Amino acid sequence: MTRFQISRRHLMGMGLSGLGAWTLGMGPRAAFAQTDVALQLSWLHSVQFAGSYIADERGFWADRGLNVRLDSGGPNAPVEPPVVSGTALVGISAADYTAAAVQQGAPFKIIAVAMQNNPFAITSLPDNPVNSPADLEGKRIGMATANTPVLRTLATLNDVDFDAITIIPTQYDAAPLIAGEVDCLLTWSTDIPVSMYVRGIDPTVMLMADFGYTLHSQTYIATEDSIANRRADLVALIAGEVQGWEEYRRDLEAATDLTLARFPDAGLDRDTQLEQARRQVPLMFSDLTDEHGFGWWTDETVAQNIETLDLLGMPVSADLWDRSILEEVHG
Amino acid sequence: MIRARGDMPRSRAMAGAVTLAVRLPRLSREGAQAVGGALAALVLWELAARGLAGSYLLAGPVDVARYLQANSGLMGRALAITLENAALGFVAGNLAAVALALVVVLIPRSQPVVAGFALVVFCLPLVATGPILRVLYGPGPGPQITLAALAVYYTTFIPLMVGLRAAPASWFDLMRVYGRGAWTAFVQVRVMAALPYLLAGLQIAAPAAFLGAMVGEFTGAERGMGVLALRAMRGLDVEATWALATVAAVVAMLAYGALGWVARALAPARPEVLLAPPPATALSGRAGRALRGAGVAALTLVLMLALWWGVMEAFGLSRFFAKRPDDLWAFLVSAPTAAENRAILWEASAQTLTYVLPGYLAGLGLGAVLAMVLVLAPGLAGAVLPVAVALRSVPIVTTAPLIVLALGRGAAGTITIVAVMIFFPALVACLQGLRQAPGQVLDVMATYGAGRLTRLIHARLPAMLPAFFAAARMSVPAAVLAVTVAEWLATGTGLGNLMALTASTSNYNLLWSAVVLVALGSAAGYALVGAVERRVLARVAPEQLR
Repeated sequence: MTRFQISRRHLMGMGLSGLGAWTLGMGPRAAFAQTDVALQLSWLHSVQFAGSYIADERGFWADRGLNVRLDSGGPNAPVEPPVVSGTALVGISAADYTAAAVQQGAPFKIIAVAMQNNPFAITSLPDNPVNSPADLEGKRIGMATANTPVLRTLATLNDVDFDAITIIPTQYDAAPLIAGEVDCLLTWSTDIPVSMYVRGIDPTVMLMADFGYTLHSQTYIATEDSIANRRADLVALIAGEVQGWEEYRRDLEAATDLTLARFPDAGLDRDTQLEQARRQVPLMFSDLTDEHGFGWWTDETVAQNIETLDLLGMPVSADLWDRSILEEVHG
Repeated sequence: MIRARGDMPRSRAMAGAVTLAVRLPRLSREGAQAVGGALAALVLWELAARGLAGSYLLAGPVDVARYLQANSGLMGRALAITLENAALGFVAGNLAAVALALVVVLIPRSQPVVAGFALVVFCLPLVATGPILRVLYGPGPGPQITLAALAVYYTTFIPLMVGLRAAPASWFDLMRVYGRGAWTAFVQVRVMAALPYLLAGLQIAAPAAFLGAMVGEFTGAERGMGVLALRAMRGLDVEATWALATVAAVVAMLAYGALGWVARALAPARPEVLLAPPPATALSGRAGRALRGAGVAALTLVLMLALWWGVMEAFGLSRFFAKRPDDLWAFLVSAPTAAENRAILWEASAQTLTYVLPGYLAGLGLGAVLAMVLVLAPGLAGAVLPVAVALRSVPIVTTAPLIVLALGRGAAGTITIVAVMIFFPALVACLQGLRQAPGQVLDVMATYGAGRLTRLIHARLPAMLPAFFAAARMSVPAAVLAVTVAEWLATGTGLGNLMALTASTSNYNLLWSAVVLVALGSAAGYALVGAVERRVLARVAPEQLR
């Protein structure tokens, strides 16, 4: 079974970058020493991973001797097993998922953070809005019961009476809110609110990160073994990601068009994708990343993450994060 | 993609329920009448969609047609991919079923172990097998094809096994009189007798393969109908959602119709007499049989454990997610938190049982009753069967919100979802069985002036029972599968939800414990149905007990 198929685009890219390297007198390394690795995404292909597509298409990885296969995620495609088994070198997880996996014995470290701010949000309709956690009291919230600890943590952080909120178990769908069966939904700020907005229903979105819910999301995870033995590949992969996401920020329209062109069969809608691209910018970029670079974190933000994880019932230490790869990338 | 408890006006809820039954255009078979029926169905569907406008739950045929026209390229490409995977899985799964059935018939002693094995593998829940298959195959269509194959092999294997035995004893006597050997008897009698059963199995398998391939795409495929369905549901794109559901249903109906045509073309002659004396060896004593049953169960269990362990070691699967039997022993028995872990599992199992039992019985009963109605009034078949196929083949993820809208988020909705998934195989099997009634018997009864109902009760019903019990047996795992999928995608309770949670908690011990529990529970249910079947068939169809 061949797991790594080289497409014509890659071959051409390799040839061109090799040619470029040759004329610059850097030798043919980029052309002939491509290492195949895989990055396991956390969801279906969309602008959510546009930085990776840019890195691939513009040769940010090929320049570093890496050929990265981007493996799609899905509702029944967990990220952690392929990373543990080595099918993927790096996976895109979230701090709470990673903490749970480590509790279960997986040897993971977080090596970079794409979303500095957690994307969880309370989505409501403007005529019955939830603008702050206090507004939740007396409201019916639609969410998966599995996320109860998330809501409880938000309530604790903001001195809200958790028992005054009625949880109605729903799937991840806006219809119950539109039909008035619930007053608000627990969603990501970048998907359901965007679908509603594109259809002319502009919802009120309360980002939980603005109310103390500090938790890294879209985190890059790798095994301790890879960090020890495949450092160069990890550095090259994260460096390409960093460069790709910086390009993404520079031109959201181009990033969106690239995503649409790359996945014509994924049923992506341009308006939705562009709006999602806009809304994830404030989650991924901040003063911190402006100062230190994409993916960065400090001891302070890690301490806040540990506090949130503690409230979620997942005690972890700062060892969960390993900044050495990022330090090489940005250093 | 599910709605919360509805406070919708009752009339709207009723409209939702009506649409469920008539949502799809029927394939016309009986000319103008059928066309008229289809038009009425389309109008009702459209009216229901207009009634629900603004709720983002149902799109009518006009919107669906408009969407399909505007996105024909996208849909065509997605359909081609999913269809290809479903077809490959269909072929692979059915070949496996034929091979298993041949082993069982040629080596009768192997039957309990092979059947038990086949059952346990069929009972492995999609939620758990999907990710494991993805890790094994890497990217590509492997998991989609495998899940399609897993979704069909059992529903072919069971009827085929029945069919290979459903040969009249007199035919074998004839073979012996002519001095022919076992091989000729096998080809000329058993294979011919099995054909109608095989084709009935294939008909059931066609929609299941398509659903299997779609759900397989949830494990990280880049293209296909399942991928588009996910995107549409998350994006509030109700036109796309129902366009996909319509295409899936039409494909399933076409496949069903085509296989029915093949069945009629290939198997014109049915075995006429299925009356046989009770086998002399059947009464080897209850204690002896119980002892043998326990031995077989133990052997199957040992084989399963060996395979489980062996496969995981052979592929070098990490213990982080690929738990071995000893990991589960620690989790459930020897660990300090074992009692707590067991309590979580029991609670979820109890929830699941309250849905699966009523749904199973309702689905089976509905299938059998509808089959009898269709035999009494054959004119209805052309209208009812396509709707039944459509109900079975519209992806459960799109119908679930409507069922919940009509029946609420509580038990009734989930029970209905299970019943809908069960009733179609039961209907097809029972229809098949009712038509197997010996012609001579029917003739004799007709000569004596017995009416349709009398003939149904005294001749057709006994002839139906082997097929009915075959359906009842294979519906045990199907019901468990349906309930876990409904719990995963709709209600967020029970074992299905527990297994789905693993994606965020990485608690693979809990996942594998649930898998084992589901498999053992299904096997126990299967054995129970088998015990009832044995008692009933000893009276009405002793040739099945040979």
